[in-house]
Amino acid sequence: MGLSSRRVGWALLPIVVTAAVLVILPSVWFGDSPFTTSLAVQAMVFASYGVGFNLIFGSTNQLFLCVGALAGVGGYGAAILVDQTSLPMAAGVAVGTASAALVGGLLSWIAVRRSLGVIFTGIVTLVFSLAFANLLLGQREYTGSETGLVVEGMPSNLADDHVGGYYLFVGLLVGFLIVFRALQLSHVGWAFRALRDDEVAAELAGVNVARYRIYAATIGSAMIGLTGALLAFSAGFISPATYSFDRVDVRVLVFVAFGGLGTLLGPVIGASVFAILDERLTASFESREVLYGVFIIVIFLGFRRGVVNAVVSLVRRFLPARRPEADPQPSGE
Amino acid sequence: MTAVVLDGIVLGLAFGLLGVGMTLVYGLGGVLNLAYGQIVVLAAIVASIVMDDGRATLLAAVLGVLAAAGVGVLLDLTLMRPVYRERGEERTLLGLLLTLGAAFVIGGVLTWRYPDGALYINITGDPVSVLGVPMTRGSIWASVIALAVAALLLLFFGATTFGRGVRSVIQDEVGARLVGINPSFVRTVIFALSGALAGIVAISTAMVGPLTVNAGFELTTFALIVTVVGGLGSVAGAFLAGVLLGVVQSLSAHYIGQYITTIILLGAAALTILIRPRGLLGR
Repeated sequence: MGLSSRRVGWALLPIVVTAAVLVILPSVWFGDSPFTTSLAVQAMVFASYGVGFNLIFGSTNQLFLCVGALAGVGGYGAAILVDQTSLPMAAGVAVGTASAALVGGLLSWIAVRRSLGVIFTGIVTLVFSLAFANLLLGQREYTGSETGLVVEGMPSNLADDHVGGYYLFVGLLVGFLIVFRALQLSHVGWAFRALRDDEVAAELAGVNVARYRIYAATIGSAMIGLTGALLAFSAGFISPATYSFDRVDVRVLVFVAFGGLGTLLGPVIGASVFAILDERLTASFESREVLYGVFIIVIFLGFRRGVVNAVVSLVRRFLPARRPEADPQPSGE
Repeated sequence: MTAVVLDGIVLGLAFGLLGVGMTLVYGLGGVLNLAYGQIVVLAAIVASIVMDDGRATLLAAVLGVLAAAGVGVLLDLTLMRPVYRERGEERTLLGLLLTLGAAFVIGGVLTWRYPDGALYINITGDPVSVLGVPMTRGSIWASVIALAVAALLLLFFGATTFGRGVRSVIQDEVGARLVGINPSFVRTVIFALSGALAGIVAISTAMVGPLTVNAGFELTTFALIVTVVGGLGSVAGAFLAGVLLGVVQSLSAHYIGQYITTIILLGAAALTILIRPRGLLGR
């Protein structure tokens, strides 16, 4: 199937615009403030987790409630390897990423083999998250338990409160977005849309649902693991809290759903909005947890299908012209 | 050995009681109430405030249970309405997200207003000997409450007209509507019942040890695991799963070690889900 270069150009446009905005952001907004920079780095890290999660859940309906644990497999895997052997950082990051991909692929394989639905996949992966958190606490001699682990090896200008660190994660995020878009445009994306809309129909039409689910989970988990591994070195310190369920998974689920499941920019928009919200709330309220909860409820009662979809349908209403992108609805309904 | 198994049964009955409130709501339309643990904590805090006021423990317990049931009804009448207008996985996901929001709100208010809040109901008296093993009165009471609740629930669903109506909604919502049962009213009642059960969990847990204000998330997780292992929507399954998991926990804590126990427990849960995705007694 040949893709016209014009279509590819249109498809990459949102990524180019996003990259441009993210690249000029430091000079126009947060400049040299380490506090704001580290907040921006957090937003980029979460957006990167979000793209991986979106590939797994948004594209193939596998509710992976182990984003934090997969990031932790990447982060702790890389950190422990570098700590215990004299391997360079890059080797640690590669091994951490591969381990996360392997674990994610394995979880997906189990879910597919046992044909677990959304809820059961969610619960099995949640159980994995809790078990992983306990493992981190128990293996004191490797992980340092609650005290955490100092991770060395990253050049100081790529630290997470330095503009270099910000650009590192912007680069990572843009790379993930390109992979996500490339998958959407290829035959893989076609299969994803088919199985998301109607699994049985997709299977009948000859889509190997099981295989594409495992693909999505492996690639998405590799993204999450790579982000977690780079975060470990960039932050210079990790503890179980860095990758805990309530700090990572709850947020990722909420902001990806807020941005729009399955959309390209949903995770970026969601992570950015929540980063700003977090900063405002810490500054002005005693209990941000309450407001966080109220915010979640209001958003999901208000626009259920995410900001990106809401904006897209608004644009379509006012600009009825044909969009050059492939329509996500399958033909023949 | 007997002592370890008995401890496991006491713990398991508490697990079962915890799971049953969540399983009922799930059975009735596919909503997993992620605010369940926070509702338990709310009941505990209400009861502890009443007790600190110098009132009788029984009054405190009743008020705690009523408060939790009230929150259950409130959830059903507000957040759950749009959820039940959806179908299938949309409903499940919206239900998860909205109850997660509710969990943040309830848990957030409680930890903010009562950062040191905790409920402990001290039941005095010498240990009672069961099968030659001395058991504290608190754990005996907690187990008796759990068993009584299990018996009442099974009686309610097996022998009363309304209970059968609830079961018909669990099996087939459209069919139930056709024979004149109002699923919406049934749901409100079940949410109230589920809330009341959360309140009873708070009281019985506090008889064994203190229940602190930040226990919500952990309680929700355990309720979720018990619910799934027992079979979604099954009352007897929840108690069976609770007791099995309790005994596994107690045995491995005694013979293998505390740290690895949680992992074994989680592994047992995962294994059950994988071998029998419907749960022990699921349909």
